[in-house]
Formats: sequence, structure tokens, C-alpha cells
Amino acid sequence: MNFMKREQVFDKNAKITNERYVVIDTELTGLNEQKDSIVSIGAVKMDGRLIKIRQTFHRLVKPKTSLTSKSIIIHKITPSEVEEKPLIDDVIKAFLDFCEERIIIGHFVSIDMTFINKEVRRVLGTFVPNHVLDTSLIYSYLKKKYPRKTIFFTYPGEMELYEMAKRFGIPCSSTHDALSDAFVTAQLFQRFIPMLVGIGISRIGDLLHIASPFTKDARYRLSGEIVNF
Amino acid sequence: MYNILEEVISFLKKVPPFQFLDDETLSSITEDVSMDFYPKGTTIVYQDGPLGDYIRVIKRGAVKVTVGFSEAEEVVIDYREDGELIGYLALLNSSKSRANVIAIEDTVCYLLRVDVIADLMKTNPQVNEFFQKSFLNKFLDKAYKELHSKNRPYNIGWNLLYTTSIEEVGTKKVITAPQDISIRDAAKIMSENRISSVVLVNSDNMPVGIITDRDLREKVVAKGRNFDSSAKDIMSLPFLRVDAQETLFEALLKMIKHNVHHLPIVKDGVVSGIITNHDVILFQGTSPITLAKDIENQKDIEGLAPLARRVENIVSLLLNENLRAMNIGRVIAEINDRIIGKVLELAELKLGKPPVPYCWIVFGSEGRKEQAYKTDQDNAIIYKDTNSNGEDTDVRKYFAEFTSFVAQQLFKCGFPPCPVNYTASNPRLCQPLKVWKKNFGNWILELRNDSIINSPIFFDFRPVFGDFNLAYELRDEINYYLREQRVFFGYMANKAVRNMPPLGFLKTFVVEKSGEYKDKLNLKTKGIAPIVDMVRLFALEKQIDEVSTLDRIDALKDKHQIVAEYADELLHSLEFLMTLRLQNQFEQIKRKALVDNFIDPDNLTNLEKKTIKEAFQVISSVQDLLIERYKSMIL
Repeated sequence: MNFMKREQVFDKNAKITNERYVVIDTELTGLNEQKDSIVSIGAVKMDGRLIKIRQTFHRLVKPKTSLTSKSIIIHKITPSEVEEKPLIDDVIKAFLDFCEERIIIGHFVSIDMTFINKEVRRVLGTFVPNHVLDTSLIYSYLKKKYPRKTIFFTYPGEMELYEMAKRFGIPCSSTHDALSDAFVTAQLFQRFIPMLVGIGISRIGDLLHIASPFTKDARYRLSGEIVNF
Repeated sequence: MYNILEEVISFLKKVPPFQFLDDETLSSITEDVSMDFYPKGTTIVYQDGPLGDYIRVIKRGAVKVTVGFSEAEEVVIDYREDGELIGYLALLNSSKSRANVIAIEDTVCYLLRVDVIADLMKTNPQVNEFFQKSFLNKFLDKAYKELHSKNRPYNIGWNLLYTTSIEEVGTKKVITAPQDISIRDAAKIMSENRISSVVLVNSDNMPVGIITDRDLREKVVAKGRNFDSSAKDIMSLPFLRVDAQETLFEALLKMIKHNVHHLPIVKDGVVSGIITNHDVILFQGTSPITLAKDIENQKDIEGLAPLARRVENIVSLLLNENLRAMNIGRVIAEINDRIIGKVLELAELKLGKPPVPYCWIVFGSEGRKEQAYKTDQDNAIIYKDTNSNGEDTDVRKYFAEFTSFVAQQLFKCGFPPCPVNYTASNPRLCQPLKVWKKNFGNWILELRNDSIINSPIFFDFRPVFGDFNLAYELRDEINYYLREQRVFFGYMANKAVRNMPPLGFLKTFVVEKSGEYKDKLNLKTKGIAPIVDMVRLFALEKQIDEVSTLDRIDALKDKHQIVAEYADELLHSLEFLMTLRLQNQFEQIKRKALVDNFIDPDNLTNLEKKTIKEAFQVISSVQDLLIERYKSMIL
């Protein structure tokens, strides 16, 4: 695997507008890390502010656990649809290759990373080495820094991806899959960038400091717990 | 499965010119598509900045397209919204943006690569035509009209294209040949005359076509055509031409639209010249910015002098552009400062570095950047205090030689000598800092003006070259002296109200009672000088560092009671009078007459007369306030 040989060449002083990112989302059969598993992974790359629309990743996988009726309703993925899909083992390798050394971004990304790391550990005996940023943490930080902005008005459900997207004027397609959610998340992050720069967060090191769901130590902790949820 | 690319494709399918494309082409041009977001207020493209590698298609949002380098000068030339494009000038071989593009709403754009779209233009005539037309519509219809309104910024290179006729720029020399000559003969004519095109004419001497070096390359050499076949076979058809009176911009458009580099100029039905894309490029080089760059690059006075003499042409070009006098003054000051700097650099090269640091200062109208034509020059040197008399003697000796050399060079560059000898070559105006301080001090504190520094225009000094700190230190010292010097201000107030504008001007039309300028109005002494003098006094009262009248008024707006009330009136009055004077001087230069400050009231339109009267009333009102303020001291 390429990613295992990768040197973590990381410049914490790099500008966030020049950094390379990959925005991800997963769909799961449920939230219990012991019993549930990944149904699909979607991802789209960003070069600085630019969302690279053609550079996407989207795979459905054959789940190891059976799909619950609840997740069928949410994701509209039926058991027959995933029956023919490849096993997570192959998908996870392709996914890691796709991510390159980019900083991974997701909305409540610790959930996604917990399930992804579980598979990576099982298949490859390691963990995802990339740095990780959580758009929900960026949102909370910006909310503190821009207290008077109506866009951050406190309201039930404001942290949910679609509710947040609506506030920032990001259209959400009726489709609700991993790639479209990753795309919505990417657009959220795109809007956060100028706001971050506006309050002096222009270096990637500073951004990781405020919005990485894992502390430095926590990245290496492959516990079964769902962090930050 | 959801495909985010589909959204892009289906969007582009509704957007011209992409709507003309089939799915396969759409897919290939979006190979590297990305999406960007600009919050409201973001400048997406800067005027004169790079256009970059992308054409942007507005997915959602709105932008305005403006020209001008600051908000005050900004002119909106276009608004664009969903489905419209940004930056397609890059497709027409322009690397720099002609305008600012600013998001006026949160704006999402799809970014397509310029090189990809440029390739598409080559293979798809519909797309090609679309971009040519967009260019025409956007820039001809809108910009042309808008940019002709009075408040234009100085985006010179571009604006001049609209105001200069083809005739002024094109080559007069045009070589014609009978239409039945061979390719070989046509090529021979071109090579003998060192020209890149030849016009073919029929037996009535009317043009039927043109052959350019490009035709020879592409249609003869590349195709292996026989050199003895008729030149007519390779000439460009249809025979495009431009009218001598059309603007340069129209010529440029025709060249772009038809992808040609040569256009014959027609005047009164006959070919009178040729204009090439090279001429247009060279012409754009007449802009003040290019001139400033050229000045920087000069290595000797022989190279500098001809450039310096082009400044006068720039004044007329700027006037043609309807630029206001004060802005012209600033542009010209910018260029003159560079010329002076260059001359001093050359002088230092020739005579060796000066023994002490010095600062070259200019004052009077030059200091205030209110001079368009070089009517006079006022300059001086402040040098660093020396330690001993012996050292001072050496320094004086150096500067005597230095300033006389500089004076000669400046003269070669078109700076006229000062009639009252307010120049650095006058030893009394080439002094160490402490002498400058003492002279200003004596004057301000004791009203003793036994030194040469006895005119208010000395307060308008600003540094141009050398150690600016010397000038700043002098300014600080002067400001220190000026605090609460009501007696001195009263003395200055006397000078400022000395010249009263002739309020009866409209009734009588008579201003100067006798002499050469009988019945004429002196715009300088009756209008411009009173404003400048009063504003200078206000600046001294408040110890403002700015020296140009415009900047002084601006800085005093919220500091000085009278200025707060009259800022706009004073500005408009001064602007109007200065523009009127400049236009008059421009006419004088065109007539090769002597440049002066007098205008003949008979030549004014009614509107101009009315405006002059209003300006005079403003001056008079402010003078009244001044007299009231210093009434015990007005003599």
C-alpha cells in the first residue's frame, strides 16, 4: 500500500488556502461500532478553496452486518443493492489511495474515522495517518468568534449537515448518499475558509488546533469508543 | 447513484456557449472543472492583475465589473449573474484583466481551464463566434458609453483606445501593387520596402485585397504553392478595412473578430494607410504607466530627455480622456518625480556620491501636484547638518557643481528655469537642515523674512528624492513652531484674502483693466490662488502634513470648522477652475501660443460663466469667514 510508505511531510505553516484536502462521508448500518459497519464511502478532493468536481470517490460496499430497516429508510439503500458490491477490504484500500496525503475533512468526522480506522486496522494492521478536520468543530469555533452573525443563530438542529447547509445557502440534492453529503460538506468548508482567514486562522496548524477531532495522542488511540459523539 | 458532475453538465447545458456542445465535448471540457465560492465583497479579479488560468461561469450569485483603482474612482461597466462568464478576455490573448470583478452577492462559480476553452474555440465556430460577440457586446456597447461619461478613472491604456482615431496611429505609408502580379513579385515588394503587407489594387486604383506575411507563410510556403501563380489567389478576402475616423478600439475589435493583424485604412474612399496589431500595442505604450517604466529603465540623459518631452503629450491624452485637472496633476507629478529622480541618480553617477545625505524637495504647484504643463519649477536641497565650517565648505562646493549639472539636465528634459530663481542651484536654497529650520523659525515666530524663504509656497514642499527623513524632520519642526502662532496666521490670512475674486464678473465681463490682458480673466490669481492660499492657511493652523490642496481639504474635513462646512464647495470650485485653465492652456499649446493663466470671458459658454460665478461666490464666502476670524489682524 502506498499510503503506508508515505512520509508525513507536513508544514503547519502552510496556508489553508493552499492546502490539499479530501472531504469524506460514510454511510453506516448503524452507530454501534461493535455491531455496525460501513455501507458506502464518498469523497471529493479540494485544492485550497477549489472543489475538484471530477476528482471524486464513491463506492457502495457489501456490509458485514445486515442492513437495518432504519438505515434503509435513511439511505434508501436496499439489501439487494449492496449484495453485489465489493467487500470493504478492497474498497478501503482504494479509498486510502484516493485520499493521498490530503487532510481529511468531514462533518462529525470522528464517527466516519472510527469505522474507517476499524477496517484499516483489521485489513492493514494500521490506521489512517492523515490529519483530520471536523466541519462541525469549525462551525462551533466560528460561531464563538462571530457572535453577532445571524448565520450562526442558535437553533435546534443547527449542527446537522443539511440544516447548516441550508443556512449557508448550499443547495442539497434530494439524493442522500455518501458522495452528495461529502460534496455538501466540501461546500460548507469552502464557505468557512474566508471566515477563518477573516479572524486570522490562515495557517493549517492553527486550523488543526481548533478543529481536529483528535488530539495528537488520540489519533493513535484505536479504541472502540466513538470519539466526540 | 448521485453524480455531482451531472449537476455541472446539466447546468452548462443551459449556459451559452456551452449549450451548443454535445455530451462528449461537455465531458471533455469539464475534465478539470472545479467549484469556487466568493463571499459578497470579494474581489475575484483585479484590474491589471493576472486573469489566471480559469474562465469562471457564475453558478449562483452576482458580480459587478468595474474599472478604477479605488472606490472613489470606480465606474461600474457591467453586472453579471447566474450563467454569465468572468474572465473570457483571457481567451482573446489578454493576460491582464482590464477590470475588477467584485462579488456583490455570495457567489459560486464553476472554473473551466482557459487553455481547454481556447482549444474549443479553435475547433468550434459557434463557440468562437459567441466569445467574439460577447466581447463586442460587453465592451463596445456598455464600456464605450459608460467610459465616456465624465467621471472616468485613469485606466489609461484601455480608455485611450476609445478616444484615439485610427488615423493618428496607423502607418501612413501604404504600398500598393496591381492585382495581377505574381506571388514572387508581391513578396519582393514587401521585402524591398521592409513592410509586412501589400495592398492589391485594380486598374482604377481601388483596393481589392491585401497580402500579408502571414498569407505568404500559410498559403504559399506551408502549402507548397507555386511562387509564380497570381498573388490574387492568396490575398485575404473579404477585403476588410477601417475608416480613418473610427477609433482604435474598433480596429482592434475587427482584428480580433476576423483574426487578422493588418487592416487597410480608408479615407475619402481611398487607402490612406495600414494599421497593424503592432501599432496598437505600441500605442498602448503611450500610457503614463508605461512611460514611467521607460523612464526607470534609462541609463543616460540622452535616453531620458526624449521620454521626458513626451509628458506634454500625455497631458493632452489625459485631457482627451476627460480626466479632471487635479488627477492629471497627480499623474504628471508622478512622472515628473521619476524624471527628477533619474536625473539626480545620473548626477550622482557622474559626480560621485554626495559627501552628506541630502533630500531634493519641490514646492509651489509642483509640490502640490497641481501642475500639468511645466510652467515653472521650484526646488531646493536640504542636506544633513555638517560638523564643521571646513566640512560645510566642501559640501557646498560639491552641491554647487551638482545642482548646476542637475539644472542643465532638467532643462534638457523640458523643465523651464524658474523666473525667480527658486531652484536648488541658488546657494540660498541649498542649505543644511538647521538653516532651513532657522529660516522657517524666524519667519513663523518673529515674522522676520530676511531669508529667501518668504513666500507661502515654501510651505508646500515635499520630498522627491534622497533622504526623505530630512524633509520630514523639517516638517515636524515647522509644525512645532506653528502651534498657536496666531500672529503668523493673521499675517498669512492677509495674503490669502489679498486677491478677491471679481464678483461683478458676469455683469461687466471686464477683469483686467489695462495692459496686454485687458478684458481677460486671470484664473490663477483671481480664483485658483485664493483657494490654494486659504486651504494652506487652514492646513498650517492644524499642522497638517499634506501639501496638495486636495489632500489638505480631505485631511481637514473633520478637523477644521470652515473646511468641514465648505469642503465640497471648495473642491468643486478648485477642480472646475483648474480644469478650465488646463483646457485653455491645452488650446494655447495647440495654437503654439504662449501658455498663461488668462481666459477670455467671451469664449466661455453660459454654463461655464455661471459655474465660474458660483466658484467665485464660494471663494468669497470663505474669505469672509477668514476675515471675520482674523479681523483684528487684517490690514
